Amino acid sequence: MSTRYEYHRPATWIEAAQLLRHYADEAKILAGGTVILNQIARGVITPKHLVSLDHLPDWNRLDLNDGLRCGAGVTYRQIERATADFPPYSTLHEAAQKVGSTQIRNVATLVGNLCHASPAGDAITPLMALGAQVVIFGLGGTRTLPIESFLVGPKTTILQPGELVQQLIIPKPPSRTISTFIKTGRRHAMEISTVNIAVCLTFAPDETCLEARLALGAVAPTPIRAHEAEKRLVGQPLTSEIIRAAAELAVQATDPISDLRASADFRRHLVGVMTRRALESCRLMGSAS
Amino acid sequence: MTKVPITLTVNQHDYHLEVEPSRTLLEVLRLDLGLTGTKSNCLQGTCGICTVLVDGMAVNTCIYPILRAADKNITTIEGVAAGNNLHILQRAFLEHQAVQCGYCIPGMLLSALALLQENPAPSPSEIQTALAGNLCRCTGYAKIIEAVQAAAVTMQQEREGA
Repeated sequence: MSTRYEYHRPATWIEAAQLLRHYADEAKILAGGTVILNQIARGVITPKHLVSLDHLPDWNRLDLNDGLRCGAGVTYRQIERATADFPPYSTLHEAAQKVGSTQIRNVATLVGNLCHASPAGDAITPLMALGAQVVIFGLGGTRTLPIESFLVGPKTTILQPGELVQQLIIPKPPSRTISTFIKTGRRHAMEISTVNIAVCLTFAPDETCLEARLALGAVAPTPIRAHEAEKRLVGQPLTSEIIRAAAELAVQATDPISDLRASADFRRHLVGVMTRRALESCRLMGSAS
Repeated sequence: MTKVPITLTVNQHDYHLEVEPSRTLLEVLRLDLGLTGTKSNCLQGTCGICTVLVDGMAVNTCIYPILRAADKNITTIEGVAAGNNLHILQRAFLEHQAVQCGYCIPGMLLSALALLQENPAPSPSEIQTALAGNLCRCTGYAKIIEAVQAAAVTMQQEREGA
C-alpha cells in the first residue's frame, strides 16, 4: 500500500508550529480528523503531511473553573456533557448535540471545526454569542483574538502558515445570562445548517436586557453578529414588539446566497422566524428562573 | 513512510502489528486482522457502516487514523456475542425482524450497544439520535428502533433478576 501522507506527532507546540511552517501548503493539521480524512478520501485535498496534535500537552483539556477553556483536541462529546447543566452555556450545549452524528461527535473537535470555518458551522455562532476568544500559537508567540476577528471569509481563518489554535476561551457569563440555539436543516442529523442562530442575553434586575449577542450562521460569507438587532434589545424589556423589531433587524443584517439547501429569500425568511422564536424562548426561560 | 509498531486491543485480544501510519482503523481491521464483520462503504465518515466502539464510543473507522487506535479498547461486531451465545441486542434484532440485507447491522448494533451501556432506558427519540449516524436502505428503521427498545427492557430485567 503506498504512503498517502507523512504522519507527524509533535510533542511540543513549538515543534508543531515548526512543522507547519516548514511544510506550509503541503501540510494539514489533524485534530479529530473527521473533516480532513473525509476530504482526503474524496480527493478534495492531497496533503503530503499531516501534523497530529494528540501528543501535545493539554491538547484535550477542558476547564470549567473560570469560564470555559478548551484545548484543540476537546471533542463535541466532551463539550456536550460539560455544558449540560449550566444554562448560560445552553447555546453551545444545544449546538454541540446537533453536529453530525454520534460517531462524529465522539471524535470531532470544537477547535478543529472552528478552524474549518464553514459559514454554516453550528458551534461557531454559539461561540460568538458567548464572546469566545481564540488563542493562537505561533513561533512568534501566542496571540488572543475575539472569534469575529478570527473568521475572515468562507472556510478562511486568519491563521498564517506555522500558526495553530491552542485554546478557546469563553469568559464566565455574568449572572442572569440565558442563551439558546436553533438550527434549521432538511433533516435532523448529519446535516449542514440551512440557517442557524445563537442568542445570548444578560438581564438586569429589572428584567430589561443588559447585554445581547445574536449570531447568525449560513446567511453571510462567515457567521455574523446582528449588531443592530442587538442594540435594539439592550435597555428594553423583551416584549413582543421589541422581539419583532429585533427579528426584522436581524434579517437586514444578512447577505445570504441561494444554494442547494435553500434560496436567499427563504434564508431571510428563516432568520426572521428563528430570531423571533429564539428570543421568545429566552423570554420564557428568563421568566422561569 | 516506514511502518510503525503498534498494539491494538480488539475484543480484549492484543494484536502486535507494524502499520503504515497513513492507514485507517477500518483498513487494518479488515485487511490486517481479517475482522471483516466491520463493513466498508462510503469511506467518508457519513454512512456509519464501519462503526466500531473505541473505549465504548461509536466511531467511523474509515476516517479513524490507525495510530490513534493504539492503547484503546476496541470492540468490533465479532466481540459482541459470547461465543455462540448471541447478545440480547442481537436476539432482539432477529426477533423483531430488524435485519434485511444485513449490511448496516454490525454498525447499527454497535451504536445501539454504546447507547444502552450509557443509557439503559432510552426513549425512541434518544434511540433515533444515537443511531442517526447509521444509515439503512432496507428497513425504514422502525423495527430497528423497536428491537433496541425491546433489548433495553430485556437487559434491564436481566440486571434485576441477577
